[in-house]
Amino acid sequence: MVEPAPVARAARPAAERASGATARTPVRSAWRSALVGSALGLAAVAAGPFLLDTYTTNILIRALFLAALVVGVDILWGYAGVLTFGQSAFFGVGAYACALVFTHYGFGPGWAVGALALGVLGAAGVAALVGWLAFYHGASPLYASIITLALPIVLVQAIFAGGRFTGSSSGLSAFPTYYWSVGTWFTIAGVYLVAVTAAAWLFVRSDFGRLLVAIRENEERCAYLGVPVSGVKIALMAASGAVGAGAGFGYAAFTNVVAPELGGFLLGTELLIWTALGGRGTLIGPVLGTLGIDVTASYLTGALPFLWSLLIGIAFVAVIVLLPQGVAPVVASGARRLLGRGPAAPSPLALAPAPARAETREGVAAPLKVENLSRRYGSLKVLDGVSFEAQAGAILSIVGPNGAGKTTLMRCLSDGGERTGGRVHVNGVEIGRGAPQTVAALGVGRSFQNTNLFDTLTVGECLTLARYKRDGARKFARRLALDLPQPALDILSATGLSDRLGLETRHLSHGMKRGLELAMVLATEPDVLLLDEPTAGLTKAERTAIGGVLVDLARAHGLCTLLIEHDLDFVREISDRVVVLHQGELLMEGTVEEVVASDLVKAVYAGERAETAP
Amino acid sequence: MTILALDIVTTALILFVVAAGLMVILGVMKLINFAHGAFLTVGGYTAMVVTDAGLSPWLAAPAALAFGFGAGLLIERVIVRPLYDRPLDAILATWGLGIVITQLITLGFGREVQFAASPMTGTLPLGDTEYSAWRLVVSGVALAVGAGLTALLYLTRFGLNARAVIMNEPLARGLGIDSGRVRATTFGLGAGLACAAGALITPLLSVDPNMGLPWLVNSFMLVLVSGVSIPSLMLASLLLGGAQVLVSSFVSPILGGMTIVVLAAALLRINPKGLSLG
Amino acid sequence: MNVPPVAPALEVEGLVSGYGGAMVLRGVSLRLAPGEIVAVLGKNGMGKSTLLKTVMGFLPAREGRVRLGGEDVTGRAPHLVARAGVAHAPQEFTIFQDLTVAENLRLGVSSDADYRARLGALEGVFPRMLERLRQRAGTLSGGEQKMLLMSRALLARPRVMLVDEISEGLQPTMIDRMAEALRAAREGHGVAILLVEQHLAFALSVADRYAVLKLGEIIEEGAAGDPAAAGALADHLKV
Repeated sequence: MVEPAPVARAARPAAERASGATARTPVRSAWRSALVGSALGLAAVAAGPFLLDTYTTNILIRALFLAALVVGVDILWGYAGVLTFGQSAFFGVGAYACALVFTHYGFGPGWAVGALALGVLGAAGVAALVGWLAFYHGASPLYASIITLALPIVLVQAIFAGGRFTGSSSGLSAFPTYYWSVGTWFTIAGVYLVAVTAAAWLFVRSDFGRLLVAIRENEERCAYLGVPVSGVKIALMAASGAVGAGAGFGYAAFTNVVAPELGGFLLGTELLIWTALGGRGTLIGPVLGTLGIDVTASYLTGALPFLWSLLIGIAFVAVIVLLPQGVAPVVASGARRLLGRGPAAPSPLALAPAPARAETREGVAAPLKVENLSRRYGSLKVLDGVSFEAQAGAILSIVGPNGAGKTTLMRCLSDGGERTGGRVHVNGVEIGRGAPQTVAALGVGRSFQNTNLFDTLTVGECLTLARYKRDGARKFARRLALDLPQPALDILSATGLSDRLGLETRHLSHGMKRGLELAMVLATEPDVLLLDEPTAGLTKAERTAIGGVLVDLARAHGLCTLLIEHDLDFVREISDRVVVLHQGELLMEGTVEEVVASDLVKAVYAGERAETAP
Repeated sequence: MTILALDIVTTALILFVVAAGLMVILGVMKLINFAHGAFLTVGGYTAMVVTDAGLSPWLAAPAALAFGFGAGLLIERVIVRPLYDRPLDAILATWGLGIVITQLITLGFGREVQFAASPMTGTLPLGDTEYSAWRLVVSGVALAVGAGLTALLYLTRFGLNARAVIMNEPLARGLGIDSGRVRATTFGLGAGLACAAGALITPLLSVDPNMGLPWLVNSFMLVLVSGVSIPSLMLASLLLGGAQVLVSSFVSPILGGMTIVVLAAALLRINPKGLSLG
Repeated sequence: MNVPPVAPALEVEGLVSGYGGAMVLRGVSLRLAPGEIVAVLGKNGMGKSTLLKTVMGFLPAREGRVRLGGEDVTGRAPHLVARAGVAHAPQEFTIFQDLTVAENLRLGVSSDADYRARLGALEGVFPRMLERLRQRAGTLSGGEQKMLLMSRALLARPRVMLVDEISEGLQPTMIDRMAEALRAAREGHGVAILLVEQHLAFALSVADRYAVLKLGEIIEEGAAGDPAAAGALADHLKV
């Protein structure tokens, strides 16, 4: 592995303070643990057939295939926050691809590869379709769950409707297959599970894996940073579908029997139970949970048929209510206490200035042009006929009393789906109905009023995430060096964040969170910067520092900056022009002096303006 | 033709009464109760216990209502209350509860299919045709439940408080409404309605530990499409239930079984608010 | 003084609260005798609404106590604070838009019998509300919605009213009506009123005393009748 750059060493003490123990870099430790884990797993797979009786081996083969399926559930639910009831359907697709091809078309190595490809691609296609249905901008997480719930139900009905072809409710059996020994099948299933788990292990510890966590914690914020959230989820769904279909194919080829239950809703919920009990978002927990529960179940359902399911049900409810993270974290922290090691510290990150962008901003004089913008909620007009232009290299402040529509204006400028009338041009392009990531791609960067960042991500991970639009995200590795535009670096050093790259953001002070928020927006290298109360709750010194950065951004870097502010002194100090909103209308636009001198504005702020409603 | 129209109307009303308890809980508590199917099953077994004990089968549904209400209060306190801030976890926990209930029933009554006596058998003459008497009774009860729920919501103090909690919980609390108690009562009511519905549909079917499951998925879809409104739920039941009857009669009963799920998913994709009439 | 001490209707002592890590109130103390009207003045973001929300129990008090008539209610849930005799007229999301005027008013009173008995009392204050009982509250004009908000608080016959920026966006004549209603409530039922305001003239015309809240602390207190105070206060509140 590459030795971290010298700058990164400076970041280490902070990371050590955070974890309170010796820091290990997770990049290396992820590869090391994946290798060690794979070796142990493969050793167990190799030893299994010699140590276990045939009955147990048989049961374990099924459990190993199901555990590979569960890995997909855990990545979707545990990491990306998508509660999926339908993962069993992909298992079913893989299994039926095997059974249908071998029963009706032919059997042999070519047919087997073809059937596997059919199952995997078919499942990926179905998954992508499901993803396209379930994940669109503004979709509720519940809707995604509904679609994944509908999927296995539809699949099972389709199998029923297939009559002789699919074997209807009794399924297909006794089709030709490879009658290898149980030991061989055990090895195949075991190697498949180890490979899937190791790949997933590296994946969730990569930059892309952190991106998934960021989506789970704050999907909205990710979209505004230019991350194509829906696309990422669809791709994830397709990949997990493909892996699940592979497992289903293997299981069908091994057992020589397929039944509709393999793709059914009940198996889908069982997968969730195993994941929850093992510990969502830990990968190893759900895998071990699946193996443990499925094997124990096979033994106990004979002796205590209903009692076993009852106990699992009770354990499931108790874990969801009392221990939402499942059993694995408890075991892991116990083990760590025993071994005296802290959790792996986040990767040290070396920061460097990004090269200036080739394209210049001088081409468009007014990067932001707003024409007759309106936003209604039913009969309520929150914004009505607002028009203005914002110039490159200038700070335009938006002021107005509570409820004037300031934040709504920001929303309409950064999300094409928000406004109910009018047009917004960014760099000369009409934003249309574009989702936030589309508008972000046009060059709009937006900071938010509240500082809910990504709680479990570190400062460095947040910054890496913010560079997604420029640098993408590595899928099986961590980046050790990050290039950021100079203004972002300035803010990080001014707020002391550059010494705390390894710290999780929930431990940051309010001022640092504001600084990070601004640095993240700047890291996307926007042309138009929308800032919603960037100094709320800051001390005088912090305000002055941020004000200085903003002025410098406009003057030296030519950024077009829009600012919502309550603190009128601050507005007066840094603004070039001011827009006054009142009850959703643009009351006046002018220079700072003009606005301050205006009697109308004074009247509005004193709250003495006559009510206009009938 | 008359039979088909009657099938559509009675199917819709049966779906309505089965889904009503789920909607009540979703409306006030913003919580999807995946134990709803198990509650239906409990209602079915309550009917069986009542008739086996030699009591009048007409007592089955009221007994199930009372039992469900009491059990609902207890369940809300123990399982549901900690999960108000975690809606997706609440789905899972109530699903787990459903498993527990199903297994308890299996342990107590066995897993085989059983039958409960029906208060009414045979058919009733209706115009120029004859139609299943109990289906007509259940339909009448469904209409009464719809009217009763509407009266409860719009004519009583509890209904006013519940609507206030639905619309704006912090404001309601600021006015002295104990939203925790409103939620607990609502869960009890929803569970009671589900059990009563289970007792009502039992004479049409048979009783087994998993009898509630297919109803759960259809109820869930109907409620999501309808939103929280009694007339909307009636309408959704009529549209989707009607489609189910038509597909089952003219295309295939198997496709009929997934009609509601597919139509609901499509409707929600086109309009995430569903049919909500407000 | 030999007069037996009367417990204050509302007593706030060293209150600290805020959102997440940011403290908005930093040790606020206030006392309201029964029948007293106190105005808390200050610009946006100085912690005025936070003060009311903490008294109501919507936000936990990190430090300090809240007492009603001598009874400690710190940490109680909002509905229990309300039942202890506090009516809160918030600034945002003030009424149930989709309920009728009558239903909104009923929700202010714990029993329907009391509601019917008291409804007539609105005749003298906001007769327009009685004309609009069946109308949906969301269709009222902005000023009428404020009347409804105030009527609901009056019908509750509370010991303490917490009134958040009632004058915002109102016409001068309407502001006078609100002032009259507040005075009538004090005289009629001896209610103590904590008034949070930015509108200086209105606040000083109604209140007995004032307190200025700045960055979460009370920086100045005085009697509202003192004409010299008004000029100094205007400085605190200026744009």
